[in-house]
Amino acid sequence: MLKQTFNWFLYIGGILTLIMFMSGCSLLKGPLYPDVIYNNRQPLISVTYEYGEIEIKLPLNYIGVVPEIISFEVYAHGDTANPIISILQEAPRVFFVYLPQGVLDIHNKSNIIKIIPQDTNFRPVNVRFKGIRFGRIVLPPKSIQMGQLIVNGKVFLNKDETPLGGVDVSIQNFDNVIKETTTNDSGFYQLSVPGEYKYAQHLRLVAGNNMIFKPFKQKLDFSKTLKMRYNIGMGPNKAMEDPIYLTNRESVHFREQPDIGSETLFLLGAGEAISVTRVTPGEYYGSIEIEVGSKKMVQLDGWVNRTDVFLLDLNNVFKKESGNVSEL
Amino acid sequence: MFRNYKWFLGSLLLLVNLSAQVKLSVKTIPKKVNIMLDGINIGKSPIINDRINPGVHKFEIIKSGFAPITYDILVNPSQAVHLDFFMNPIYQVKFKTQEKGLVFELNGEHLWDDPFIRLDLEAGDHFLRVFKLNEIIDEQTIHVDEPKKFNYYLKKPVSEE
Repeated sequence: MLKQTFNWFLYIGGILTLIMFMSGCSLLKGPLYPDVIYNNRQPLISVTYEYGEIEIKLPLNYIGVVPEIISFEVYAHGDTANPIISILQEAPRVFFVYLPQGVLDIHNKSNIIKIIPQDTNFRPVNVRFKGIRFGRIVLPPKSIQMGQLIVNGKVFLNKDETPLGGVDVSIQNFDNVIKETTTNDSGFYQLSVPGEYKYAQHLRLVAGNNMIFKPFKQKLDFSKTLKMRYNIGMGPNKAMEDPIYLTNRESVHFREQPDIGSETLFLLGAGEAISVTRVTPGEYYGSIEIEVGSKKMVQLDGWVNRTDVFLLDLNNVFKKESGNVSEL
Repeated sequence: MFRNYKWFLGSLLLLVNLSAQVKLSVKTIPKKVNIMLDGINIGKSPIINDRINPGVHKFEIIKSGFAPITYDILVNPSQAVHLDFFMNPIYQVKFKTQEKGLVFELNGEHLWDDPFIRLDLEAGDHFLRVFKLNEIIDEQTIHVDEPKKFNYYLKKPVSEE
């Protein structure tokens, strides 16, 4: 009896289990709505950008003098009116600048770094370069130097102010020729030397080494300017009357009296002019011009040996190839 | 020679293209979700050190049990872009009422009249409207933040079990 009852319960339970399995438990859970119901809520999304940096490295070489302060201005896309950044700093050996990503032209060399030394003796330098989106740019070294020191002018004959072409003109430091040139047909010359000579103490302009006259020499002082003009008159002045003789060697005695043993007033260098007024068999008497300061010239009379001078011919004022005045 | 030239040109173009690309990383909650970028499966999250071109792109993120995400983005030219997607879960909710002759509407589009029903609802607020004989008799907002059971009583706030 008990076994029959147990079998009956087992039978009923089996049928119920089968019904539940077949209906997907929906009898207990209820039916499932066929669609997912969204409320169209904005999803939570985080977007983070990482922007790179542009590091520019520009080594600088200073030739001669180093400026104290330099202004660096960085421009992009060829716009030279509005700098991306301006930096004023002591003259660095390497200039570093950091820029945000995307500010430079990455297709063309239209980005510019203007290097502006805060010293009027230096000229601004521009560095053009092609940009990158981000990362490091190492630019080739750039040289910074003082502006060129320039001296120019005309060379002419003192006697009649005729322009002299073909005259050697040079700038010397002590006795070393730094730069030399020759005047053109109009007598014009121009010489330039690097700015590092700006404060040189023994810089001088020398003209007429290839002429029969005493060379012109003038100390140059560029400490207050970068450009100077010197018009150079060669040979005897207008005030000296013909006939004019020139000394043909160094250390020619210009004496007070014609006799031997007379006092020597001056030792004349080669090419100095003497305006002769009297002649003796062995001597000439005449006057020389002497600068007494402030470019004021005075004439002084005296005697020279005839063998120490030669007659000036203004049609032939250049030395011959050998450079010996006496060969004229 | 021509082949070499083509190879060189191809490499150059690839190099230029790579250099213009933006580094991409995508993370999702939950993890291990397939990420579709412009219709192409780029792998399962988290994605790191992938690359993307600047410009407009479409991300699609679908995972069972979560609301799908479609996201349009204009990628700026930058070094890298990091995207984090927090997917909204879908919870199964039981909705029960003892009232007779009621029709329920959720979010203005989903209708049912069963007194006991199971619903797959996106987490968040849903707008419930109750009709009787084609007339609105009740309006409520229900908040879903976990699997739960709602009991509805006429003109009373939906109670949770």
